Amino acid sequence: MDAFLSVFNISVLVPWLLAMVLGIFVGGIPGLTATMAVALIVPLTYHMAPIAGLAMIIGVSFTSIFAGDIPATFLRVPGTPASGAAVLDGYEMNKQGLGSLAISLDLVCSSIGGVIGILILIFISPVLAGFALKFTHFEYFWLGVMGLSMSAVISKGSKTKGVISMVLGVLVSTIGIDIATGYPRFAFKNAELMGGISFIPVMIGLFGISEVFRSLQNLENLSESAVGIRISTSFKAVWKLVIKHFRLILQSSILGNLIGALPGAGADIAAWVAYGAAKRTSKNSDKFGKGCVEGVIAPTSANNAALGGTWIPALVFGIPGDTITSIVLGAMLMYGLKPGPLIFEGERFLINQIFSVGIISQFFLLFIGYLGIKAYTQIFKFPRNVVYAGIILFSIVGSYAIRNSVFDVGVVLVFGLLGFGMEKVDIPLPPMILGLILGPMIEENLRVGLIKTDGSFLPFLSRPISFVMFMIVVVMFFWDPIKKIIMQRKKAGKGGTNNE
Amino acid sequence: MKRIILLICLLMLVFGGLFAEGQKEVTFPNKPVTIVCPWSAGGGTDRTARFIADLLSAELGQPVQVVNKTGGAGAVGHNAAATAAPDGYTLGNLTFEVNTLKYLGYSDITPADFKSVLQFNQDAAAVTVSADSPYNTVKELLEAVKKEPAGTFVFSGSGIGTVWDLARIAMLDKYGIDPNRVKYVPSQGAAPAITELLGNHVDVITCSYPEVAPQVEAGKLKTLAVMADERNPQFADIPTLKEQGIDWSYGTWRGFAVPDDTPDDVLKVLQDAMKKVVESKEYIDFMNSNGFGIEIRIGAEFDSYMMEQFAGLADIFELAGYGN
Repeated sequence: MDAFLSVFNISVLVPWLLAMVLGIFVGGIPGLTATMAVALIVPLTYHMAPIAGLAMIIGVSFTSIFAGDIPATFLRVPGTPASGAAVLDGYEMNKQGLGSLAISLDLVCSSIGGVIGILILIFISPVLAGFALKFTHFEYFWLGVMGLSMSAVISKGSKTKGVISMVLGVLVSTIGIDIATGYPRFAFKNAELMGGISFIPVMIGLFGISEVFRSLQNLENLSESAVGIRISTSFKAVWKLVIKHFRLILQSSILGNLIGALPGAGADIAAWVAYGAAKRTSKNSDKFGKGCVEGVIAPTSANNAALGGTWIPALVFGIPGDTITSIVLGAMLMYGLKPGPLIFEGERFLINQIFSVGIISQFFLLFIGYLGIKAYTQIFKFPRNVVYAGIILFSIVGSYAIRNSVFDVGVVLVFGLLGFGMEKVDIPLPPMILGLILGPMIEENLRVGLIKTDGSFLPFLSRPISFVMFMIVVVMFFWDPIKKIIMQRKKAGKGGTNNE
Repeated sequence: MKRIILLICLLMLVFGGLFAEGQKEVTFPNKPVTIVCPWSAGGGTDRTARFIADLLSAELGQPVQVVNKTGGAGAVGHNAAATAAPDGYTLGNLTFEVNTLKYLGYSDITPADFKSVLQFNQDAAAVTVSADSPYNTVKELLEAVKKEPAGTFVFSGSGIGTVWDLARIAMLDKYGIDPNRVKYVPSQGAAPAITELLGNHVDVITCSYPEVAPQVEAGKLKTLAVMADERNPQFADIPTLKEQGIDWSYGTWRGFAVPDDTPDDVLKVLQDAMKKVVESKEYIDFMNSNGFGIEIRIGAEFDSYMMEQFAGLADIFELAGYGN
C-alpha cells in the first residue's frame, strides 16, 4: 500500500504523465514505434529516481501501443507494429461511419486489457515465467505455424488468394542474413538488403500508402474532410458493448498476456492471434473483417495485455520479453538496480511500485487516450487532400526513422504500389503481413531446432507442450470441414444470428 | 519600407554565409557531429554511444547526435561510417564485427577503411553453464567434450560468425578439439541464448560476463572462466582461461573511427576531445555501473590491434567453415 501511494509523488507524476502524452504522438505517427519512444526516453531518466524512470517507460509504452490504433482505425495506417490487426475491423467500422465508436471501444478495451495483463503479472508471474522457459525452438515453431494458419482466418474471400498473399510475405522475409548459417540470401552484396526487409515499412506501405493511391484514382471529394462524421462518442454505447463482450475481452487479454510472456513473441503477434481466436470462437465469424465490434475488441485488448506479459520474464528472470523490456533491463543497471532473479526479493518495494504504476497507467490511459483521440480527430477534419499528403509525408519520415535509412522509404513506396495492385485483384493484404512476421519465426525455429536434434523431427512432436500445440493446429485444420458437416445436419433447425 | 527590409535580409544572408565560410577554415568543428551506431537504439553499444555523445558535445562545443543505422549484422552501419564524407563530422562507432564483415561476405569493409580515434571498451568472452552442471572448470568441461561422442554437447551464445561464436571455436581448437564435435545453436544475441541455458535447452554458452552476472549471482548459472589475460577486478573470483591452462583470450570491443581519408588535424581535435571524455569520472562511473569493461587504445595502437585481429580471424573462419 505504501508503494501504491508513493507513486503519487510530484517527481514521479510529472514525467510519467508527460511520457504518456508523448506516447500518444509517437504511437500515432506511423513508423515511430513504442520501442523507439522508450529508447529515446531512457537517457533522460538516468538522473531520476528509478521509479520515475520506470513510470515514464511503462506510461509511454501503453499509450503508444493504443495510439497506434488511432491512424489504423481512421486512415488504415497502423501507427505501431502492434496495431496491424486493429486495421481490419476498425477501418471497416470507420468506413461505415462508426469510427468514433470503434476508437472509443478500442480505448476502453486497451485499458481493460492492460489491467488484466498487469493483474496476471502481479499474481501468477513466477508460474508463467517458469512455463515460458520450457518453450524452445520446437514450441516456437508450432506457435508460428498456429499464427500463420490464422492467415486463412483473417483473409476475406478466396482462400487461395489468401495463401498467395501469405506466401509472398514469407518469401519477402527470406531476404537478408540467414540466422541458421549466417549466409546472406538475395542480398546481392547490398548492405541494405543484407539487413532484410523490415516489416514496419512494408506494413505502412501495404495498408497506408496503397489507400492513398486508391483515393487518388477518383479525384473526387478531395476537399471534403477526411473523416466525414463528427467525432462524438457515447460512452454509454461503448459501455454496453464492453459488458456484452466481456468474455471476449477476458479471453483476448489472457491470450495476449500469455503470448507476451514468451520471450520469443510480442504484442504484434499477440494481436493477430487474439483476432484469429476471436473469429474462431465467435458466433458471428462471418462478420469479421467487415467491421464488427468483436474484431476491434480482440486485437486491442490483446496488444495492451501483452505488454504486461512481456514484463513477466523480465522481472522474474531478468530476461527480456520483447524489445521494450530489453531496453528496460539495460536502464535498470543505470539506476543501480540489478535486474535478475534476485530483484523480486531484494527490491520488493520497487516491484510493488512498478505494479502500481502499471495499474494506474491504465486509468491515465483512458483520460489521456481520450484527449489523444480528440486531438487527432482535429487533424482528420482537414480536407482529404491535406490529410493524404500528410500521410505520405509522415509515412516517409517514419519509415526513414526506423533505421535512418532511405532504403526503407523506397520499401514503403514499393509496397504501397504492390498493396494497391493486390487489392485491385482482390488479394487480401493481412496474410502477407502475417507471413512476413511469422515466416522467419517458423523458419528459424525449425532449422535451429533441427540443428539441435541432428535432423530428427521427433522432438517437434514428442515434447509435451509441442505435442499439445501440434494437436491444436490439427484440430484447427479440421475444424471447419467438421463444422460444415454438423451445420448441414442442423440445417433443419433455424440458425439465429446475433446482430450488433 | 518592405523593400528595405528585404534588402537587409538579403545582405544578412549573404554576409552570414560568408562569415560561416570563413569560420570553417579556422576551426573544426563548427557544426553538429554525428556518431553512426551500427546497432539498435537501447542496446549496449547505443547506450554507451549516447552517453559519450553528451560528454563529447561538451568538449567540442557542438551538438553530437547518435544515429542508428542497423541491419546486416553490423554491415549497414559500418558501411555508412566508412563511406561518409571524410571531414570528421561523421564518426563511426566501430565494434568487433567490423573485422568479420568481409569474411562473412556481408561487405567489403575492413578495419583498413578507417582511421582510428580510439578504443574505449573491451569485454572478454566468458564460458557459462547451468548451476547444476557437473563441471566446475573449463578443463573438466572440455575433457568431457573430448570423451563423449561428437554432438553430445550443445553450445550457444549468439549468431553465426559473431564474436562469441568465434571465441568458442578458437577455444575448442586450442584444446585440441574439432569445433564440429559440439553442436552450435545460433541465436539472435546473448539474451535468447541465456534464456535457452536457463531452460536447460543448451549446455554451454559463451558471452560476456556482465550479461550473465545477474543469473550467476542468483545461483542459476555458473561462469567457469573468462577469456581474458588477467582477472577482472570487478569480478575477481572468476578465473581466466589461461589460469586453467588454455592459452586463449578473446572478446568484443567498441571504439570510434573516421573514414580513412580524414585529415590528420581534424582527427587530432576529435582524439583530444575523446581522450578527455574517456578519462572523465562520469565516463568511468557509467561504464562500471553498466558492467562494461574499460580498455583504452589510442590512434595507431587501436589501428594495429584491429588489423592484427582481422588477420588472425582468417584461421578461425577457416576452422569454422563459415563464409566464402
